[in-house]
Parts: sequence; C-alpha cells; structure tokens
Amino acid sequence: MRSIIQILLVASLSLLSAFSSYAAEKISGAEVINNNCARCHNARAVHEFSIPEWKVIMPHMREKAHLTGKETQAVLEFLELTSQRAPLAKKVASEKMIAPDGKQLFVQFGCQGCHSLKGDGGTVGPALDETIKNKGIGFFIKKLQNPQFNNSSSPMPKMPLNEQQIKAIAQYIKS
Amino acid sequence: MNMLKLLPFAIATAVASGHLLANEQQNNSRFALAGYGDVKYEDSELMDTSAFSARFVPIFLFSLSDQMHIEAETEISVDENGETEIELEYADIHYFLSDTTTFTAGKFLLPFGQYGPNLHPSWINRSAFSPGIYGGLGGHGGYQPMQGLLPVMSDIGVGIQHIIPLGKNQKIFFDVYMTNGLATEAPHDDEEDAHDEEPVQDEHEEVVVDEHAEEEDEHEEVDDHALELPELAFEATSADNNSDKAFGGRIAYAFLPGIEVGASYYTAKYDDDEKLGFTATGFDINWMGNHYIVRGEYIKTETDAFEEDEHEENKVITFDRNGWYLQATFMAGKMFNVLQGTDFVVEYAETNKINEAERWAYGINYWLDSRAVIKATYEDTTVHDGEDDKRFAIQYSYGF
Repeated sequence: MRSIIQILLVASLSLLSAFSSYAAEKISGAEVINNNCARCHNARAVHEFSIPEWKVIMPHMREKAHLTGKETQAVLEFLELTSQRAPLAKKVASEKMIAPDGKQLFVQFGCQGCHSLKGDGGTVGPALDETIKNKGIGFFIKKLQNPQFNNSSSPMPKMPLNEQQIKAIAQYIKS
Repeated sequence: MNMLKLLPFAIATAVASGHLLANEQQNNSRFALAGYGDVKYEDSELMDTSAFSARFVPIFLFSLSDQMHIEAETEISVDENGETEIELEYADIHYFLSDTTTFTAGKFLLPFGQYGPNLHPSWINRSAFSPGIYGGLGGHGGYQPMQGLLPVMSDIGVGIQHIIPLGKNQKIFFDVYMTNGLATEAPHDDEEDAHDEEPVQDEHEEVVVDEHAEEEDEHEEVDDHALELPELAFEATSADNNSDKAFGGRIAYAFLPGIEVGASYYTAKYDDDEKLGFTATGFDINWMGNHYIVRGEYIKTETDAFEEDEHEENKVITFDRNGWYLQATFMAGKMFNVLQGTDFVVEYAETNKINEAERWAYGINYWLDSRAVIKATYEDTTVHDGEDDKRFAIQYSYGF
C-alpha cells in the first residue's frame, strides 16, 4: 500500500512539475495551431477572417479543441502577427528590417510550429531540412510570398516578410 | 471668445474621437459568422432513387466579455417533401471560469466520442456518409440501412470542461454534463396500424415475442433477435418526461499533435416511471500522421425494456448492442505533388447482437482549398436480417 502511495505521489509531482514549467514558458501560437486545430480539420487560412472576427471565433474553438486561455491568446497573437491587415511595423521590429536575422525571424514567425527542422518541430507542414536543396531558393521565396501558388489547399499563412528577410530565413535553414 | 475660432478645434476633436471609436470597433468585434454547408448527390440501390440535397449550417458567435461567449448553430435544409427544416443544433453560453475550466449551459453537443462533438461537420468528416454506428437515427445520419447505435447527441443542460496540460505536448481532458435526457419515441402512424393487428400492446409495456421465443420461454437468456429493441427519442426538448436527468462525460488523453484517445459514458432513464434505463459506453481514437489520419470509435449500448413473465408481471430485461467503425485517410497530396489536394479514404463499420450489419466505404476527396472539398464515396452494406444496400454519393462541402 505504501509503495502505491509513493508511486502516486511521485507521478503527481511529475505531472505538477511538467504543468508548472509549461505554464511559465512562452507558448507558440503556431505550435498550438499545429498541435490542436489539425486534429480535426485543415488549419484555416488567416486571411479568411479579420482579426476582430478571430477574437470572437477563438473562444468558440477554445472550448471545442480543449485549449487553455493562454493557448487561445497565443493563437490570437500569432494570427495578428501574420495578418496582412496589420501594419508591418507591428510585426517585425525596425532594427530587424535593416539587418534581418534569419534565426530570429524563424522563431518570431513560429515556422517551427508547423514545420520540423533538424528533427524538431510540427508536422502540419513538410520538414524544411531539404526543401531549399531539393526545390531551390526560388521556390522557397515564391512559397513564402504566395503559399498557395503550388497547392490551393495549403493552410500556410502569407507572412509579412520582404525578399531580404525570406533569404535570411533560407540562409538560417541551410546553415 | 469668438466661437468660430473654436470650430476647427471642435471638428478636429470630433474627427479624432470618431477615428478612435472606429478603431476600437475595428479591433474588437462582438459578433462573427462561421459555419459550413454542403450539396450532395446520392444514389441508393435499395431505395432505387437518386437525389440532390443541400444544407446550410450557420454558426453565430458572440463575445459578451473575456469570460462569456455565446454560440449557436442552426441547420437549414429541405426535406423530401419540400419543407424547409430548421434545426437548432446548439445554443449555449460558455463561462470561462479559469484558464483551464469552462462552464457551459444551454443546448450543446454532448461530448461522447469524437464524431459527435467535433468531427461530424461535412467539411471535417472525410466521408460523404456518417460512420455506420452513428447513422440511421435522424439528424446528421439521415437514412441508411445500417441502424446506428447513437445519433450525434445534442441536449439541454449544463456541463463542465477541465483541461490538464502536461507540458506542451500532452493534455488530459475532462468533460462532464447533466441534461434532460432521452424519452420513448412516439409510435409512428404506420406502426400504430401494425400494432392493431398484432397480439401485442405497447412496445415498452410488453415486448414483442416471436414464435421462436415462445417455444423457449423457459430459457434464461434473452434472445435479442426475438425481441423488439425499444425505440428511443434522442431529440432535445425543453421539457422532460420524468425527473431523472441524463449524466455523462468523457475523459481523454492527447499526445499532441498525433494521438487523442478517449472514453465516454452516458446514462439516463427514459420512461415516465424512471424504471427503464439507457446506457452508452464508448472508446475513441484519433491518430494523425504526416500523410494519414485514422479515426475510430467503439460504442456499447444497454437498453432496458419490460418483458412479461409467466405470472403476467413485467420484469426488466436489457438489450445489449455494440459496434465500431474505423476510418483511414491517406493524404496522397502530401506525399505526391501530382496528387496535390487528394485524399483516399476507406472505412469499415459493424453493428452486433441486434440489427447486425457490416459496411465498407471507399472514397476519394479533392480539396479545392483548405476549407472546401469534393468527396466521392461508395459504400456497400450487408444487413444480416434485412436488405443489403449499395450507395454512392458525391458531396461538395465547404466551411466558412
């Protein structure tokens, strides 16, 4: 009996510890979309709804998909970041516009939420390790500028990135 | 002071205020409209008919505050007689009690399995038909030769949802609810006529027994084939035929983003005297990979009914049924560029013990974009004590 209680105690503490660390860390909205939305349906394109509409839709999806409030907020922040309607200055810090840092942009736009790189990341989109090698930088730039150009059912959002920034991300992926 | 000098300032202030208000309204909306719809062409060998049908299913969403959210879904369709049917699928309010706990009140989809609460919208379901164990009971199933075990359940009551995140890739979900519950289905006109000719009274007062059963009346076990399964009304009503409430819930474990497995339970008394019960137990899985989706559910139901014993007294007997389905989708477009947007679907379903049947379904889907799909599905149903059927459907579904 004592050993069972000990096992339950250790298991409870482990769960609590895991929960506490998750609650404290920054949640990636893209990762929440990858992990939860695609469980039932294709991820919907960001431009289908305005940000004020998404703010009303997301509480509905919070209950449907069993999202926490923090996860819901992280998705909204990601949608705002990638929304074409928001001013560019809000999305990418101005100093990064002058000297784009591929890694920083890769993280900021949550690419790894849906795509894996070096074995780590989401599964909604294809792994990025060999994309540029196999399809060329031209394909990569075109895909980020118009994600549906080669696949009309792709849920990938069009990121507010210029060509220089896209090339910086490509450089980071290749490195 | 000359008031005219103040006029430009007043106009500028008014314009600035107007802009601020407009920006505020632009940034925060109270209302959003979403939903789905479909158009379907269906050909049935058994019915010897083919027909087009259409549905429009708008979802109205309102945010009252950060804590309170209202949702309502209506299904608008045209029935076989040309009448427009409007069905309230759900209308409820969520109150977000904390980051992980939500209280729901109103008419809502019961969290039993995954098909009912989440996967049944036609732009989400990968087949043009409902899974066999859910069909044939009205609502989303419509007609089919295979008699399902449950409909997509929606009822009026209250519920609580709680989430336990275990790191960023694992979660445990708890859903519990209490609702009005089900009732006895009112006899159809044709059934009433038929009953007049039979030496049997009400189907729930005295169970229909055939000759085979009469020969073995001393037998202890219930011969499920010889007795008539009570017909239950799952449609939600704003009244209850008894004081008993339905209770149920679901516990699920999700290893994100790949797997969600759950166990569901539902129980209620359905007769006026609260002596006859209905219980459903279910297990479900949703398994997603890079190029495939596997979805399945097993459901077991226990339905009480009265049987008259040798002393002409009613005793309660229980009908057991069970069944399961497994649907596999191969997203070929994710593997082969030439097949962009194409899915191949295969599904098997069976019901056991009473109204036994098996069904195979094969489908091919083409996604026009991430929320619009054309599905072509062929299904072949074998019914043990009835007529088999082969059906074919093409469905154009869209989410909006």
